[in-house]
Amino acid sequence: MTQHWIDIKNANAVLIMGSNAAEHHPISFKWVMKAKEAGAAVIHVDPKFSRTSARSDLHVPLRSGTDIAFLGGMVKYILEKDLIQKEYVTEYTNASFILGDDYKFEDGLFSGFDPEKKKYDQKKWAFAKDENGVSKRDKTLQDPRCVYQLLKKHYERYDLDTVSSITGVSKENLLKVYEVYSATGKPDKAGTIMYALGWTQHSVGVQNIRLGAMVQLLLGNIGIAGGGVNALRGEPNVQGSTDHALLWHIIPGYNNTPTTAWPTLDDYLKANTPVTKDPKSVNWWQNRPKYVVSLLKGWFGDNATPENGFCYDLLPKLEPGVKYSSMFMFDRMYAGKMKGGIMFGHNPAMSFPNTHKVRAALQKLDWLVMGEVHDTETCSFWRGPGVDPKKVQTEVFLLPSCQRGEKDGTTSNSGRWHQWHHKGYEPLGQSKSMGWIVVEIMKKVRALYEKEKGTFPEGILTHDWIKEYDAEEMAMRINGRFTKDVTIKDKTYKKGDHVPSFPSLQADGSTSSLNWLYCGCYPEPGKNLAKRRDHTQTPMQAKIGLFPNYTWAWPVNRRIIYNRASVDVNGKPFNPALPVIAWEDGKWIGDIPDGPAPPMAMEKGVYPFIMHTEGHAQLFGPGRVDGPFPEHYEPVETPVTKNPFSSQLSNPCVDLFSSDKDVYTKPGDPNFPIVLTTYSMTEHWCGGGDTRNTPYLLEAEPQLYVEMSHELAGEKGIKNGDPVIVESARGKVEAIAMVTVRITPFTVQGKTVHLIGMPFCFGWTTPGVGDATNRLLPSVGEPNVTIPEYKACLVNIRKADKVKELAI
Amino acid sequence: MPKTILIDTTRCTACRGCQVACKQWHGHEAVPTKQTGTHQNPPDLTPNNFKLVRFSEQKIDGRVWWLFFPEQCRHCLQPACKATSDNYVDGAIVQDEATGIVVCTEKTKELTAEQCTEIIDACPYNIPRRNDKTGELTKCDMCIDRVKAGLVPMCVKSCCTGAMNFGEREDMLKLAEQRLAKIKGEFPKSDFEAMVWCDVSQTCSMLDQDDLNVIYLLALPREMYHKFARKESKPLNRADFLATLTQPLRSIMG
Amino acid sequence: MANFSRRGFLKLTGAGVTALSLGQLGFDLRPAYAYAKALKIEGAKEVISVCGFCSCGCEIIMHIKDGKIISSEGNADYPVSEGALCAKGAAFYSMHVSDHRVLKPKYRAPGSAKWEEKDWDWMLDKIARKIKDTRDKDFMLKNDKGQTVNRWETYFQLGTSQMDNEECAVTHQMCRALGGVYIDHQARV
Repeated sequence: MTQHWIDIKNANAVLIMGSNAAEHHPISFKWVMKAKEAGAAVIHVDPKFSRTSARSDLHVPLRSGTDIAFLGGMVKYILEKDLIQKEYVTEYTNASFILGDDYKFEDGLFSGFDPEKKKYDQKKWAFAKDENGVSKRDKTLQDPRCVYQLLKKHYERYDLDTVSSITGVSKENLLKVYEVYSATGKPDKAGTIMYALGWTQHSVGVQNIRLGAMVQLLLGNIGIAGGGVNALRGEPNVQGSTDHALLWHIIPGYNNTPTTAWPTLDDYLKANTPVTKDPKSVNWWQNRPKYVVSLLKGWFGDNATPENGFCYDLLPKLEPGVKYSSMFMFDRMYAGKMKGGIMFGHNPAMSFPNTHKVRAALQKLDWLVMGEVHDTETCSFWRGPGVDPKKVQTEVFLLPSCQRGEKDGTTSNSGRWHQWHHKGYEPLGQSKSMGWIVVEIMKKVRALYEKEKGTFPEGILTHDWIKEYDAEEMAMRINGRFTKDVTIKDKTYKKGDHVPSFPSLQADGSTSSLNWLYCGCYPEPGKNLAKRRDHTQTPMQAKIGLFPNYTWAWPVNRRIIYNRASVDVNGKPFNPALPVIAWEDGKWIGDIPDGPAPPMAMEKGVYPFIMHTEGHAQLFGPGRVDGPFPEHYEPVETPVTKNPFSSQLSNPCVDLFSSDKDVYTKPGDPNFPIVLTTYSMTEHWCGGGDTRNTPYLLEAEPQLYVEMSHELAGEKGIKNGDPVIVESARGKVEAIAMVTVRITPFTVQGKTVHLIGMPFCFGWTTPGVGDATNRLLPSVGEPNVTIPEYKACLVNIRKADKVKELAI
Repeated sequence: MPKTILIDTTRCTACRGCQVACKQWHGHEAVPTKQTGTHQNPPDLTPNNFKLVRFSEQKIDGRVWWLFFPEQCRHCLQPACKATSDNYVDGAIVQDEATGIVVCTEKTKELTAEQCTEIIDACPYNIPRRNDKTGELTKCDMCIDRVKAGLVPMCVKSCCTGAMNFGEREDMLKLAEQRLAKIKGEFPKSDFEAMVWCDVSQTCSMLDQDDLNVIYLLALPREMYHKFARKESKPLNRADFLATLTQPLRSIMG
Repeated sequence: MANFSRRGFLKLTGAGVTALSLGQLGFDLRPAYAYAKALKIEGAKEVISVCGFCSCGCEIIMHIKDGKIISSEGNADYPVSEGALCAKGAAFYSMHVSDHRVLKPKYRAPGSAKWEEKDWDWMLDKIARKIKDTRDKDFMLKNDKGQTVNRWETYFQLGTSQMDNEECAVTHQMCRALGGVYIDHQARV
C-alpha cells in the first residue's frame, strides 16, 4: 500500500476492484465504513456479488479478465471530459514528456516486438532527450508525441459500446462508476483504489495495476490522504517477505540478483545505478551502491573488503533472460531436473495451478524438507489420492514449526508497519521457529564443509552466519551497524553502533545492513521501534489518522509514500482540510516527507516521485516487458474469439509451458464454455492447512462449493446443494453447488457467458471436504512476474451421480 | 441501568468474527457441518453456538441484497423464558438485576425435556437450545463474566466494522436513533453519496427496541432477514409479566 | 516507555508483556451471583502477538497462565483494528492449540507408506548430509560459456510469507550461501 489501513477513511470515493476486501481483509472494512459514514461512495467492481458488494453503494459485475477494458474506458472518459488534476498531471507525471521516434503502437502491438522470442525491444520506447541529455517536455501537453496526447490516442478505442460489449458491464453502470470516481480529480477530493489478487492473478496482472495507478495519477490521487494505489497484501508478512526477497529475481531491498552479465561488483553497480542529468531529480537509486555494499557487509562481515569486491564474486549468478520463478521451478521438477529442496509454510500441492503436475513433480525429487505447522497435502504428497507410496522414492523430512504466538519477531502489515510480536510461551511439543530451523540446518552444513571440504566451500563458509537464531540480533543485523569508527556530519559513530537511518549507509564497507529499507527501525541498542505501542500524534496527524509512534513504518517511518505529491509546487496541500505534509516556516510538518528538500518550485526543490530516475510518475511506463501502456488482451483461456480492440487476442508475451500435463483450451471451445474464477474466503486461508485444522473455522465453511447463477443451474439441471463435477482440460473436481443470485450471466459480444466461482482451500488430508480446485487451472504466467492466471480459465460443469472426494 | 447491545446490520460484513469469538470464549465444541448450498453454517443455533450469523439473499428489481443477521439471545426486559421456567425450577433462568442479562444457569438441568421445549416455544425469537447430553438449557449469556469484570462481550469486542455496540441502554438507544436517522436520509448527502445513494429510508427499522436489551437495526423488512427476526408472539410487557404471577404455580416436580 | 491506553479499561505497564489482575485493578470479583462464572483470564499474563493471516496485522493479546496459552482476543490499542478480529483472527487461540499440529520431527523413508518419528539431531544431520552430497555433485562453477556462475540448479527453496522478517533474512542468506537460484514464495502465487 502507498497508504496505510486507517487512511482509507479519508477517501471521498473508494473503488474496490480486483479485491473482495470485506471477506479477505475484514478489518479494512472498518475504515471503508468510516469513509462511507462520512459521505464517501463505495464501489465494488467484481464478477461476483460478495460480502464486499453487500456493504458497497454499488456493485458492478465484470467478466473476469476485462479490467483493462473497463479502466481504459475510464481513462478515455477522464481525458475527454478533461477531469484530470491539471497541475498534478503536468508537474508530477511524465504526461509532458516527449517520446522518441521509435515508439509506435499498431493493432495491439507496440514497436520492437520479436514474435519468435515473444519479447519486445524496450529501447524502442525511449523518451526524446535534449542536448544536455534531459528528457524533452511540452508542459502545454499539445505536442502530438507527448505522453498525454499518445495516451489519449491509445484509449480513444475504448468507447462505451465496445467496453460494455467485451466486459459484460452495462453502459449505465460504466457511466455511473466513471462519473463518481472521476469526481475525485478535484484537488481537494480523494479517491482510493483497493486491489488484491483479483488484479494480479491474470496474464495481464501487472498492467491491470499500472492502469489503476495511471487513473490515480490523472486524478491526482497518489500521495494525498485518502488516495493511493493500495495492494491489500495477501499474506500476513508478504510485504516483509518481499522486502527481504524470498524471491529469485532480487536480493533484499529490491536490488537485482547478480547475473553473468555483471561478473564483478563494479559491473553490477554500474549497470544498476541510474544516472540523471536533471538537477531537480532526486534519483533515489543513485544510492544503490551504499545499500548493496552494506548488504554484502551484513552477509560476509569482516571477510568482505573493498579489495575482494565485498565477496560479490561468491554469490550465485543467474543466466540473463532465464526465469527461475516457481512455475518454472515446478516445470523443471516435473522434467526430473530438481533433486531436493526446502519448503517452509507453503502448500503447492494445493495452491499451485495445474496441481496434478505439481503433485507428480514432487514424486520425482530425491529429498524434500518441509517446515510446517500441519501435515499438509504437500508434506504427504507420497500418500495422496492415487499415489502408491511404494513407487515414490523421495525421502521427506517434516520439521514441526511453531505458531506465531510461540516466537518473537516482526511482520510488516500492508501499510508497511513493522510490528514486533512477543513470544507468549514455549512452543508446543518439539516445534521450533523457522528461523531456528534455518540456522541449525546451516550450522550442520557448515560443520560438514569445514570438516570434509567439498565443492566451493568458500561460498558457504565465508558468510558471517549467526551462531544461534535470535530475533533481536537479526533485527539489529537488518537495521545495520557501523563496521568501524566513522564520522558523518560532525557525528562520530563507534564500530558496532547501530546505523541511525539509511541516509547514513556507506558504500565503502564502513556500514552493514541486511536491508536498507528497514535501516532506522532499531537506531540504537535497546531502542527497537517495532515494539512501540504509543498513540502520540500531533493534531495535524490526528486529523488524517496518522500514528507515527505506533510501531515503525518503512521507509524512515513515512506513513504515506510519495507524499510530496500531496502539495502543490510551493508546498501548499492540495486539500487544506486533510494535509499529509505542509511547508511552513521553512520546514515540513505532518508526515515524514519524501526527503527534506524544500518544495519543488524553490531553489533546491525536487520532483516528488523520487524513486524514478526522471522524478516523475510514469503514465508512460517503459519498464514493463509487455508494453508501456496497458492494453486489453483476453485471458489465455477465454470464451471470446475476437478482441474488439486489436487482432492480438491474448498477451503476446505470456509464459506458457509445454510438458504433457500442460494442456490449454482454445478460445471459444464449445466443450468448455464456462469461465471459472477462483478465490479465498474469510474463514479459510490459502491452501487451508492452518484453517481446515482449526475446527471452529471448518464448522463455518466445511466443504468445497461452486457458486453459480440460477440461469446456469437451470440449463444444467442442477439444484442448490447438489454435488457436481467441474471439469477442465486438465482434470475434474467435485464440489457442492451453491446456486445464487449473487452471480449473474454476462452478455458478451451479444452472447451469454456463464461464470462460476470456487474457493481453493479444501484438500484431501481433511477427510470428506473435497480436494484441490487448482487441479482445474492452467499453468499460465504473466510475463513480467510469472504470477499464474488463477482468475480466469475455461471449464464445464455437470451434476454428479456419485462423489468420492466429498462426504455427503 | 441495564446493558444493551446494538447490532447495526447495515454495517455487518458477516466476517463471523463474533460467531467464532463467542465459541472460543465459551470453550464450545466445534459442531460437524456440511455444505448445503449456503454460507450459513451451522444451519441453526446449537448448545455450542450462542451466536450465529444468518445469511439471506434476494434479488429485487435487478438489485441483489445479501442480508446478514448476527443472531443471538435478545435479553428481553421481561423474559418469557424466565417466566415460563420459573413455573418449574426456581433459578434455572435468572435475570441479573444490575445488567439485565438473562442467564440459563446449571439448574436448567433440573428441567425436563418437555419443560425445555415449552420454554423454547415461549421465546418469541426461538433462541434457547437444550443440550441433550447434559440436559442443560443454553443460550447467549452476554458474556456476563466479562461484563461483570468491566469488559465488553466477546462478540462486540471482535466486531470489525462497528456493527455491534455495547453500553448503557440509554446510550445504545441514542446511538440507534442516530444511526436510524442517518439511514432514513435525515442528513444532507454529500455529492458522492448523492450519485450512488441507495434509498432504504422507507424500509429501515429498529426491532422491538422497547422490549429488548439486544436491539437490531435493519435496512429492509425484518421478514427478509430471518423467520424469527420478527417476534411471532410479543415478549412480555410488565402487565403481562404480572399476569403470569397470578396464574396457579405448576409443580416444580412436574 | 510507550504510552499505553487500553481504551476504557486496562492500563498496561510494560511494552508487550504484563501481568494483570482484575482484583488489583479495583474490580469487585466476589461471586455475587452464582451464575457469573469467574473470569478465566483473571491473573493471566498478557502478551502481544500479531494475527498470522491477511496483512491487516491485527494485534492479538494472548492470555498466558502457568506457561500455557489459555485465551486470546484482539488488542484494543492497535489503531487499525481497535481490538476487532475476523473469524480467523478470533480463532487464534484454538489454532495454536489445535490437536492436528505436528509436534515431533517426522521422517518418511523412500518407498515407505508411513511417517517415523525421529529426534531433531538425527533429522538435522541427515538433512545436512543430503544438502552437502547433492550440492557437491551438482554445483556449477562455470556455465557453457565459461563464465563464473557459482550456482546450484538442482536445489530449490519455497516459502514463506508466514515467516517473520528476521526469519526471511536468514532464509534468503541461506539460499544464496548454498548457491541457490530457485527461490520463491507466496508473493508470486
